[in-house]
Amino acid sequence: MLRKSAANVVGLVLALFFLFPTYWMITSALKPKGTTITSDYDLVPFSVTLTNFATAWTKPGFLSALGNSLLVTLTAVVAAIIIGITAAVAMSRFAFRGRKSFVLLMLVAQMAPFEALLIPMFLMMRDLQLYEHLSSLVLVYFAVTLPFCAWTLRGFVNGIPVELEEAAMVDGCGRWGAFQKVTLPLLGPGLVATSVFAFITAWNEFLFAKVLIRSQDSETLPVWLSGFQTAFGTDWGGAMAASVLFTVPALVFFLIVQRKMVAGVTAGAVKG
Amino acid sequence: MTAVETTETAAPAGSIPPALPPAVTGGARKRRRGGAFDRALPYLLLAPALIAILWLIGWPVVSVFVTSFRQLNLGELVRGEIVWTGFDNYATVLQDERFWTVSLRTVVFTAAVVGASVGMGLGIALLMRVLTPWVRIALQIAMLCAWAMPILASTTVYQWMFDQNYGILNKTLVQLGFDSFAGYSWFSSGTSTLSVVGLLIVWQAIPFLAFSLYAGLVGIPRDLYEAAGIDGATGWQTFRAVTWPEIRSLLMMVTFLSTLWDFKVFAQIWVFREGGPSGESTTLAVLQYLEGIAKSHFGVAAAISVLMMVILGLITFQYLRRLLQTEEGKI
Repeated sequence: MLRKSAANVVGLVLALFFLFPTYWMITSALKPKGTTITSDYDLVPFSVTLTNFATAWTKPGFLSALGNSLLVTLTAVVAAIIIGITAAVAMSRFAFRGRKSFVLLMLVAQMAPFEALLIPMFLMMRDLQLYEHLSSLVLVYFAVTLPFCAWTLRGFVNGIPVELEEAAMVDGCGRWGAFQKVTLPLLGPGLVATSVFAFITAWNEFLFAKVLIRSQDSETLPVWLSGFQTAFGTDWGGAMAASVLFTVPALVFFLIVQRKMVAGVTAGAVKG
Repeated sequence: MTAVETTETAAPAGSIPPALPPAVTGGARKRRRGGAFDRALPYLLLAPALIAILWLIGWPVVSVFVTSFRQLNLGELVRGEIVWTGFDNYATVLQDERFWTVSLRTVVFTAAVVGASVGMGLGIALLMRVLTPWVRIALQIAMLCAWAMPILASTTVYQWMFDQNYGILNKTLVQLGFDSFAGYSWFSSGTSTLSVVGLLIVWQAIPFLAFSLYAGLVGIPRDLYEAAGIDGATGWQTFRAVTWPEIRSLLMMVTFLSTLWDFKVFAQIWVFREGGPSGESTTLAVLQYLEGIAKSHFGVAAAISVLMMVILGLITFQYLRRLLQTEEGKI
């Protein structure tokens, strides 16, 4: 009993450790101007305002960066998911010469250290005249997430009994019909989990966004936020409000699929 | 016809081909046509992914090696010149003392961060099993908040918390009586800067590790623990004999993944102090950026990239080989 309560105390302390930066981000964002930068000890905010959010929202570049981030991330993830599904179905449902090599290729490609490919990527985008274009980021994020999507979805497709598809085909469905009516609905949760993971990867990406895009109009949110001192000076309240706005989409996605995501990574992707 | 097609899909080994209805005996011609299409279909389905991977991953891998043997600065790039220099770039990099310092720092930093996050992840996973449900849920929600925060948002928050004059950490330490922390700079040395970066990375890496390992622990059959209890095993003996063998492969997998991720960290280090003060928190990823993008020495930077991959390869080689062998056996 004593051991259990000791464990609970440790658990609560750890919960505070993990929660504190989020708490501090939100409360700093809610504090009225002039009360953020203070020598007073202000762990709990006494008055609350939303002006910091208005400031961040109207800062030059914020909205376009938000739009760019959403555009690049969603385009890349949708492409990676669609192409990933077709590859996953091929790897999981067909026997053909070279199948083993394809599967291993997906596994290895997933581990490619993209950061070490910065220089060739930069030179390639320059040759393709895509330097400074958002489409260069779409291509990079698509490439980063595709092997992961294909590999993980293959795990999920493997988990759906092939007999279900065969039954649908005996009942007169074509191959496409069987896929669309049987496999795709059952794949739903796996698809959601996989796309959220891919979304987070692209949403977070900083190095390529910094190197491939230099003009302010095409900046993505991570790069915009990294230069917040140009935009905010020492206005930490504003910077925290911008961070909150940056976090919300990711957090919402996370909360929806948290359980499935862990299952996805451990079952679909990495289970050894 | 559909039934014939079904048998010809040659579903993965182990699945039972459905019995052919007798009515399809007249379908020989169709069967051949279906067969040709069937043989092509998997390749057609794989083609887009394969082309994308060869183009966007395979080619850059080849290109980084090729570039590392070229003299390629801004002048050559603009003029479109191709100047081969053999191993000159490697000689330049390897003779630079800074490269060795940075490499050693990167390896030590990676080891520390991976060790701390995997160790604490396992500790928290084990802890979660004994927690009262509401405490466990509170801890899980807190970890989820840390996990979900975009890297640049958490980096900005940490900068604010560790701020020299108004940061909550220094203010708290002063409140607790450590007056020397008033106006203390956490970023005055490379070690201190990397410690803060390391803390940030560990803080954000633990949730994934704890959740994955907890999922693994929950999957261990209960009767194993009951048997150990009947045999009178102590807590440590139970861990050694029951938990460890069951969790080991998963633990190695997440350690491997963490190594891959933490070795190439760029964003957090760059945003805090751009690898400073005076280059003391520079890691290989930052060095490659400084050399290649900031100074436009693309050839030298490509050599650094190749050496980066070599070091990462050496660290992970053993595990990677075993992983590929087991996966190959399973396919």
